[in-house]
Amino acid sequence: MNIFRLLRRRHTAQVAHDRLRILLAHERSRTANTDLVAILRSEVLAAVAKYIPVAIDQVDVNMDRSETLSTLQIDIHIPV
Amino acid sequence: MGQVLVVTSGKGGVGKTTSAAALGAALAESGQNVVIIDFDVGLRNLDLVMGAERRVVFDLINVIQGQAKLPQALIRDKRQERLYLLPASQTRDKDALTERGVARVIDDLRATFDWVICDSPAGIERGAILAMQHADIAAIVTNPEISSVRDSDRIIGLLDAKTEKAKKGQQVVKHLLVARYDESRASSGDMLQIEDIVEILSIPLLGIIPESEQVLRASNLGSPITICNPESAPGRAYFSAAKRLNGEVIPITIPRERNRLFGRLLGGRAA
Amino acid sequence: MASNCTRFRLVGRSYVLFVLMPEPPLAVWLGELDVWARRSHGFFDRRPVLLDLSKLPLSKPELAALIADLKARNIPVVAVEGVDSQLLDFTLPPLIHGGRPGGESDADTVAGPAETQDRPCEPTSLLLDKPVRSGQSIVFTNGDVTVLGSISSGAEVIAGGSIHIYGTLRGRALAGVSGNADARIFCAKFDAELVAIDGLYATANDTTSYLCGRPVQAWRDQDSLQMREIVSSARRRV
Repeated sequence: MNIFRLLRRRHTAQVAHDRLRILLAHERSRTANTDLVAILRSEVLAAVAKYIPVAIDQVDVNMDRSETLSTLQIDIHIPV
Repeated sequence: MGQVLVVTSGKGGVGKTTSAAALGAALAESGQNVVIIDFDVGLRNLDLVMGAERRVVFDLINVIQGQAKLPQALIRDKRQERLYLLPASQTRDKDALTERGVARVIDDLRATFDWVICDSPAGIERGAILAMQHADIAAIVTNPEISSVRDSDRIIGLLDAKTEKAKKGQQVVKHLLVARYDESRASSGDMLQIEDIVEILSIPLLGIIPESEQVLRASNLGSPITICNPESAPGRAYFSAAKRLNGEVIPITIPRERNRLFGRLLGGRAA
Repeated sequence: MASNCTRFRLVGRSYVLFVLMPEPPLAVWLGELDVWARRSHGFFDRRPVLLDLSKLPLSKPELAALIADLKARNIPVVAVEGVDSQLLDFTLPPLIHGGRPGGESDADTVAGPAETQDRPCEPTSLLLDKPVRSGQSIVFTNGDVTVLGSISSGAEVIAGGSIHIYGTLRGRALAGVSGNADARIFCAKFDAELVAIDGLYATANDTTSYLCGRPVQAWRDQDSLQMREIVSSARRRV
């Protein structure tokens, strides 16, 4: 019995388990079936656009989800 | 102008997504710009296999329906900067995939990337047909098993009949990628021989990917095997398949796992 | 030139239909049909057929029941032949007559790689330079079909004349379908799901395993379908 191989296998299975848990929690959540991100983005853009002209393709949207916290990062390129 | 490669099979579970991710990463490693599109609307998997599931904001359907611009939906791989992913939608209906929308997205991507890889859903329905529609090259993933071979044959017929190339009287260049090849079962005579599969399907071989636990490990970790373990047997097999896609002529071999250090230290009894 | 007339066109077109000719007793005939369909799975799958009732006179309810029986087997009856027109009302398929054995009809390719056109003055044969893939059906009733590659499992070639296969026959080959009993089937390597000549057929279960993998020809001898390995004269001399 190769104990190292056993440990290693357990290791990636644990990673897979953690990834799935976070993913499924998000997919089952209330926000999963709505276009929350799209709505947020358009409303944030509308708010900014009241004061500054913004081009829609000058916006970068990034997301990162973790177990307890999701971050939505909206970078708006503001013309000088 | 980039080339459009469809990774398809007919049958499910033969290794399409694994192969699309591994070939895409291998092509990117060789210095080319690559984007992989997941066409499996409603059952997306490519984001998981590539470890980008937490970073999906927009998807292919958002782009087709105009809710997002194409660059906003592209996810850049964190380990390989020339590799991008365009995820499928998990929540939408697959009818949202329109012929015209797909054509537009592929045209745009073709203009900026060297390779546009379409990861086809299983089956021969709409999603699979749309995934192959604009292909210049097809990699048909087949397992050495009769039902997989027959489904591949069916898909090859569709590539000859339903693609844009076929409609223009041209041909999609077709390659056979045999995945989950098990050498021990091949030598015991319990598996279809590679020569038989090639003879039945009569298309040239792109590569033979040995069955390996390394593929499962890579998928657990969310990393294409060609990034996470390029020296593994399947990793090397995908790298030579990618070289053949780039036109290099190299003999087909079946890579073997190199002797593991631990295996040798412990007297190799585990093997 | 612009014209205000609606361009209503009525065009005639001829097609090849498979004809089912039930014989009494009906229950036995249906049983044979089932055996046939089971052996050659998917053969009748929504393929339109004509029902020739000249050997089996039926009353109207019996006919309706038979059509429903066939429909339940996924066989759509598009027309009926050989019955009194009084028997058919609008709930039943229309009566058709004046059919000819298929030899004079248009060539037709279904989802096949080669497009065939109706060119009556030219010699009628069809050459397929690519393999016939699973799910494809090549129908050519004007003459012989030559296949340079293989016919895959789940594919079929239907010819009015003979069928010549230079690769492996793994699918179905139906020769002489327009009533040509002299048609033959030749293949370089035999592993067929079904071979048929002018209505006589043999499935994989009927053929001896000896033939499998060998070059084989099939022909019709009166009322039986014969198959034999092709032994080239060069080999025979040795």
